[in-house]
Amino acid sequence: MEKLKSKKKISIMQVIPAIGILISLVFIYLGFTKYGFWDEFKGPKPGFFPIVVSIFMLVASLLSFFFSFKEKSVNWPLEDWILPLSVAGILIATFIIGLLPSLAIYVLLWLKKFEKCSWKTTLIVFGIIAAIVVGAFGMWLGVPFPKGIILNMISN
Amino acid sequence: MENLMHLIQGFGVLFTFQNIAVTIFGAILGLLVGAMPGIGSLAGVALLLPLTFKFNPTTAIIMLGALYYANMYGGAFSSILIGIPGDGPAVMTLMDGYPMATKKNRPGQALLTSNLSSFIGGSIGMIILTFMGPLLAEFGLKFGPAEMTALLLVAMTSIGWLVGENPTKGILLTMVGILLASMGMDTLSGNPRYDFGSVYLLGGIPFVPFVIGMVGFSQVIRLMSERHQETKLAVSKLSIKESMITLHDFKRLLPPAIRSGFLGTFVGVLPGAGATTAAFMGYAVQKSFKSEEPLGTGAIEGIASCESANNAAAAGAFAPLLALGIPGSGTGAVLLGGLMMWGLNPGPLLFTNSPEFAWGLIASLFLANIITLAIAWGVIPFLIKILSVPTKLMIPVITVVCIVGSYSTSNSMYGVLIMFISGVLGYILNRTGYQTAPAVLSFVLAPLLESNMRKAFIISQGSLGIFVEKPISLVFIVILFVILLFPLIRLVLTKLGVLKVKEKV
Amino acid sequence: MKKSILLLAVVLLIAASVSLFAQGTAETGSKSFVPSKDIEWVVTSSPGGGSDIYTRVISDIMNRKNLANGKTFLVMNKTDGGGEVGRLQVSRVSAGNIADHTLLTFNSGDHAPMLKNTANRIENFTPIAVMAVDKQLLYIGEYAKYKTFNEVLNAVKAGNNIVIAGSKGDDIATYEMLVKELGVSQNQIAFITNNATSDAITSVLGGHVDLVMSKPAAADQYVIAGKLTPVLALSETRFTGNLASAPTLSEVGPYKNIENPIWRGVVGPKSMSAEAADFWSNAFKAVAESEEWKKEYIEKYKLVPEFRDRAAATEYMQNFQKLTLATLGK
Repeated sequence: MEKLKSKKKISIMQVIPAIGILISLVFIYLGFTKYGFWDEFKGPKPGFFPIVVSIFMLVASLLSFFFSFKEKSVNWPLEDWILPLSVAGILIATFIIGLLPSLAIYVLLWLKKFEKCSWKTTLIVFGIIAAIVVGAFGMWLGVPFPKGIILNMISN
Repeated sequence: MENLMHLIQGFGVLFTFQNIAVTIFGAILGLLVGAMPGIGSLAGVALLLPLTFKFNPTTAIIMLGALYYANMYGGAFSSILIGIPGDGPAVMTLMDGYPMATKKNRPGQALLTSNLSSFIGGSIGMIILTFMGPLLAEFGLKFGPAEMTALLLVAMTSIGWLVGENPTKGILLTMVGILLASMGMDTLSGNPRYDFGSVYLLGGIPFVPFVIGMVGFSQVIRLMSERHQETKLAVSKLSIKESMITLHDFKRLLPPAIRSGFLGTFVGVLPGAGATTAAFMGYAVQKSFKSEEPLGTGAIEGIASCESANNAAAAGAFAPLLALGIPGSGTGAVLLGGLMMWGLNPGPLLFTNSPEFAWGLIASLFLANIITLAIAWGVIPFLIKILSVPTKLMIPVITVVCIVGSYSTSNSMYGVLIMFISGVLGYILNRTGYQTAPAVLSFVLAPLLESNMRKAFIISQGSLGIFVEKPISLVFIVILFVILLFPLIRLVLTKLGVLKVKEKV
Repeated sequence: MKKSILLLAVVLLIAASVSLFAQGTAETGSKSFVPSKDIEWVVTSSPGGGSDIYTRVISDIMNRKNLANGKTFLVMNKTDGGGEVGRLQVSRVSAGNIADHTLLTFNSGDHAPMLKNTANRIENFTPIAVMAVDKQLLYIGEYAKYKTFNEVLNAVKAGNNIVIAGSKGDDIATYEMLVKELGVSQNQIAFITNNATSDAITSVLGGHVDLVMSKPAAADQYVIAGKLTPVLALSETRFTGNLASAPTLSEVGPYKNIENPIWRGVVGPKSMSAEAADFWSNAFKAVAESEEWKKEYIEKYKLVPEFRDRAAATEYMQNFQKLTLATLGK
């Protein structure tokens, strides 16, 4: 039953090679029109190498596309996507409140609310992360972390 | 013999209390910084350069050497323990190191294998450097654009060993890696290429965030749904004694480490090749030798072959750096900067004008090699405790380290964005049966190949002849054809009945 | 043990946040500027190249003469995207303490490609000083096929092709001036762009190309060691010292001399405060007037000393931009 379904429906197994085909076509097109292929005296132009590679990629994508119908589609544990979502959240939050506070909030929420850890565990892990980030990267190696819009407005 | 005397004099310069203390200090710092993802040897040396300002020139340079060298050791740590390669060479270490630590439950042995191999490779490189440094440097000069192109073509074919059971998918991702690497500024024409109008893309896709995402962050995402099925390590395994490798292990690591030591030194001497290429080639060569367990499943041979190669390359790179003033890699370039800040001009005159510097530096590499091994050995029992931390607690820690590490490579959120995108991409690809390693490796090798090939064509005015007219290049082209045609030849011979069909290949 | 780690972390966090706020408040009240932290000095080319040497000599002299209030210069080589990313980052530093402690080595070789490839303009920076003018030469390697530039020209006439290796930016511009003046095509005398002059020198040392274009500084070592020999001075007059043997183009044949003056300057981010810009302009002036500068840089690397202060440098760079944009047709 499930197999029948995956054969009929276009799944991720076809989407990836399809994207590959698309990318290679874009690179081939731009390569020929914008960057050039071969110069009589100087040999390859900037577009040469990407075009050759894209052609290989196009062939590989097409093959993968046809083979993909024989493959079983994979399942996607929904849980996995929580992590990328939270990193996306950190990226957005960084622009507003800066990287360090965003990371701090993420770690606390993650451990306490999501993993339901005890306060003790939460604070210990938080402390270790703070020591690595602030202590090692920030203070010792002198990495300047972005402060976000709010702090930048205050400090100017 | 004469060189040996110089080296002994070099040790004479080295053996003051301050210099030894500084070597130890440099080795520890180098290890720590090297172990942090995002801060590879390049950034490590650059970041720690200011620390050397406080000393006199000789001491400062000795510290710099120790720092640089210990960095190469440290890179493997995060690869093996948390599955995030800290820098380019560590990508290869991860292939076997991480499975060996987690699936085989032998983290101590994995770390020790990596350290011992680094030591062996480094020692081979340094001995060659001592006796044949200037000669090697001259040899490296023989590798012009045509020779490098031929060599890199041979190297590229060995990506084929890494594509796994599904070749079309492997090739597809190899090509993706090359295309991603081709974005950004095209040096030869001085024009932007495939930048799609973005100033950030003008600078191309930064390597370290790309690797952290593709190989590291993608794994963390995968861990999410597996985080409740704990496989904890027995605490009794966490002592030095329990992390010791057996005699049998040592016998397994020795041949690949020695082979890669020579290979790595050779690659390190070549212009622009660097430790990543060396590690990769060491691993690829190991594929054609026998390993007790298949590579990629946590084989000692796999770790040994690439770790030895990258440290040997780090040592080998000093030959052109000191004898000709040519930095073989980005890290070499920063080191060169450091040397010049001290009024030292590495180049043809260094060994005659300031022998005490040159030989002091070489001697300090030897000392750093030994000291780093000892220190690394000592910290292994503490480091592997990381593996006994429950996965659900490791996830936020590693996530934060991925973010901060990729931020630190260029101090910009662009790095984090690249890490994030490549992480999600890597996760999706992994789930659907695509191997990401080929993409990462072709990302490193392809730009080298392209620029050398185009330079060769400018020299030859667009004629292919240049690749067969030059003897060194011709040799590599012949090797290339043998590799490419080998499956075909074997097929023909088998059909003719000359060769028997092997049961399992 | 665990508690102490926690405590440490809390202390670190507090310390970090205090320093963050301290930065914010420190500069609001100050009128005259004095460096209060280490200075980040961005160089958009590789270590070992001309720009890098230039930067390190200046920072060294500033340290020795204590011109930066005892603070250290952290030289950062940011070569991504042909240096555009480094330049963009500096131009975008937001106002505040960091902006006042950020410098960027800015040469004609950085300015021209920036104008060509990006929308970044000199208006996004605060020009601080122009320090010197540099020129190039063509060199041959030890085992070169052609020993003089005349032999090179004869070979071209005989139908052979010549390859010059060089670096980005200025070198390309000078090369284009050269082939135009010689009246040959870019195929007869081809040019290979390398990431850094040191790469170009590598290829000529290995005998893979015929000539290398370099400024005196980067090739100095090799000339002393006899590995490189200068064969053509790309200048109105001959150089001095061990470069005196190289003729100018007009001495070689019926050509006009080629000279592409390469200026070396320093800028800060646009957001740098006027007080800081004045401070730095004066500091660079002090360097330019020092004996050390003349001895360790100008004489050693055969440059022409040409100091311009903040106001003059601004005008000079804007003028350069106007001319370059005009030739680019932008």
